[in-house]
Amino acid sequence: MDEIKELAANQQELVHAIDSVWVALCAALIFQMEGGFALLEAGFIRSKNSMSIIAKVMIDIMIGGLAFYAFGFAVAYGASNGYFAFGTGILSGDLGLNLTISNSLFWFLQLGFAIASISIVSGGIAERMKIWSYAIFVVIFCIIIYPVAANWVWNPNGWLAKLGFNDFAGSSAVHAVGGFAALAGAILVGPRMGKYNADGTANAIPGHNLTLASVGAFLLWFGWFGFNPGSTLAAVGKWEVIGKVAVNTFLASAAGGVSTMAYTLIRYKKVDITMVINGVLAGLVAITAGCNLVGPNSAIVIGFFAGVFVDICVVLIDKMKIDDPVGAIAVHGVNGFFGTIAVGVFAEEKGLFFSGDVHFLGIQTLGVVVISLFSFFTTYLVFFLLKKTIGIRIHRHEELVGMDAVEFGVEAYTTFE
Amino acid sequence: MKKVEAIVKPSKLEAIQKGLTAADIPCMTVMPVKGAGLQRGYSEIYRGLEKPMILLPKVMIICVVSDENLEKCIDVILENASEGNIGDGKIFVYDVYDAVRIRNHERGGGAIK
Repeated sequence: MDEIKELAANQQELVHAIDSVWVALCAALIFQMEGGFALLEAGFIRSKNSMSIIAKVMIDIMIGGLAFYAFGFAVAYGASNGYFAFGTGILSGDLGLNLTISNSLFWFLQLGFAIASISIVSGGIAERMKIWSYAIFVVIFCIIIYPVAANWVWNPNGWLAKLGFNDFAGSSAVHAVGGFAALAGAILVGPRMGKYNADGTANAIPGHNLTLASVGAFLLWFGWFGFNPGSTLAAVGKWEVIGKVAVNTFLASAAGGVSTMAYTLIRYKKVDITMVINGVLAGLVAITAGCNLVGPNSAIVIGFFAGVFVDICVVLIDKMKIDDPVGAIAVHGVNGFFGTIAVGVFAEEKGLFFSGDVHFLGIQTLGVVVISLFSFFTTYLVFFLLKKTIGIRIHRHEELVGMDAVEFGVEAYTTFE
Repeated sequence: MKKVEAIVKPSKLEAIQKGLTAADIPCMTVMPVKGAGLQRGYSEIYRGLEKPMILLPKVMIICVVSDENLEKCIDVILENASEGNIGDGKIFVYDVYDAVRIRNHERGGGAIK
C-alpha cells in the first residue's frame, strides 16, 4: 500500500516538474517579446526619439511589472465577484484554475501578458508623450485596466469566463485591451508635429531603421510560440493542444504576411515590407484567441483577413487624424477585435460555419465589444485627467530637437568616435 | 593647387579609388551624401502615404591636387563614373588658397605631395 502511495506521489511530482519546465520556457519566450516591442517601435520612429521608446518599454517592464506584482495579479486572479478582486502580491492557495504549476510560475507567465499589453500602448503614443505621465499611466494600466479585463476572461469566476467566452491566449484580454488603450492615448496626446498639413492631408514620417524594426518583428514572432502554446498552462495531458496551437499560430502569421504582400503589391505596385511586418503580427494577434479551437485551414483564413484589415486600417487611422507611428492600433486593436469574433465563426465545434449556431459568436462579440470599450474609456479618462493636471505632451522645443537629447541627454547614434 | 569635388553614384566609388591610386593621386576624402540633380529626387510609398522628393544617395569624393595633376584627376573620375545616363553626377573644381600638413607644419604644394 505504501508503495502505491509513493508511486502516485512520484508521478504527481513528475507532472509538476514537466509542466513547470514547459511553462517556464514559454514564460521566458513571452518575456523576451519586450525586446521585440522595443526594437520594432524604435526602428519605426525617428532616431532622435529612439532612446525615449527604449525607456518607455523599460518602464513597461520594470514599473509595470512591480505594479502587477503588488496589486495587478490579485485584481485579476483573486476571489472574483465576476468583475474584479482585491488583494496583494502573489496569491497563495488554489486559484480555481486546476494549475499543476506553482502560483509563482503562473504569476511570472501572467507578468509577460501584462507587460506585453502595456507595451502596445507605448508604440501608439511614441515620440510625443511625457515620460513620467506615461509611467503613471503604466501603473494604473497594470493594476486596474489589464487585470480587470483578465479577471473577466480568465478568472474562473469572471463573468465572461462563465458565459463560455473563449480567448485562449488574449486576443481580447491582451491585444484588444492594449490596442484600444493605444487608440485613446493617441487621440488625447495628439499627432506628432509635421504629421498633418494645414489642408488635413497626412505626411509619411518614415522610421529611421527598418532593419532594426524587422529584428523586433522576428523577436515578437519567435516569442509568440511561447505566448500561444504556453497558454495551455501545462504540458501533461495538453501535448496535442500544444502542437495544434503552434501550427495554427504559424499558419495565421504566414497567411497574414502573404495577404499584406499581395495587398500592397496590388494597391501600391510595390511590396511594403514595413506593412508585411504588421501583416504577420496582425495574423498572430488574430489567431491568439482561437488557436485552441480552430482547424489549420481556418487559421489560414483568419490570418489572411487579418493581413488585409491591417492594411486598410493603417491608412484609415491616418485619415482620421490619429497618429499611430508603429501601427499598434491597426495590429493589436483591430485584429484583437477581429480575432475574438473569428473564433465564433471558425471554431470547429461551436463556430457559426460548422454548427450553424450564432450563440457562441454572440458571446465572443459581446465579450470583445465590452472589453474594447472598457479599455478605451478607462484609458481616455486617465489620459484626460493627466492632461488636465500634469500634462501629457512634451514641450515643442523637445519635440523638435528630440526627446533623447533633451530628456535623456543621450542620442542613440553618436556620430564621432 | 585645386580642390576637386566629385559627386558620383555610390557604385562607382571603388573603381574611381582604384583609378586615382593607379594615377598616383591616392589622397582623398569620401563622404556619403544625399542630393538631387535635375531629376528632382523620387517618391516612394511608406505605409500607404506618398513620401515625395526623396533625395538620392550619392558619394562625394574630395581630392586636393596640384595644378599639373588636375586634368589627370578629372579624366580618371570621368572614365570610371560616366555611363552617359542621368544621375551620373557632377564634378566641381575650386582654387585652393593653402594647405598645411599637420605632422610637420609643411605649407603649400609640399603639403599635398
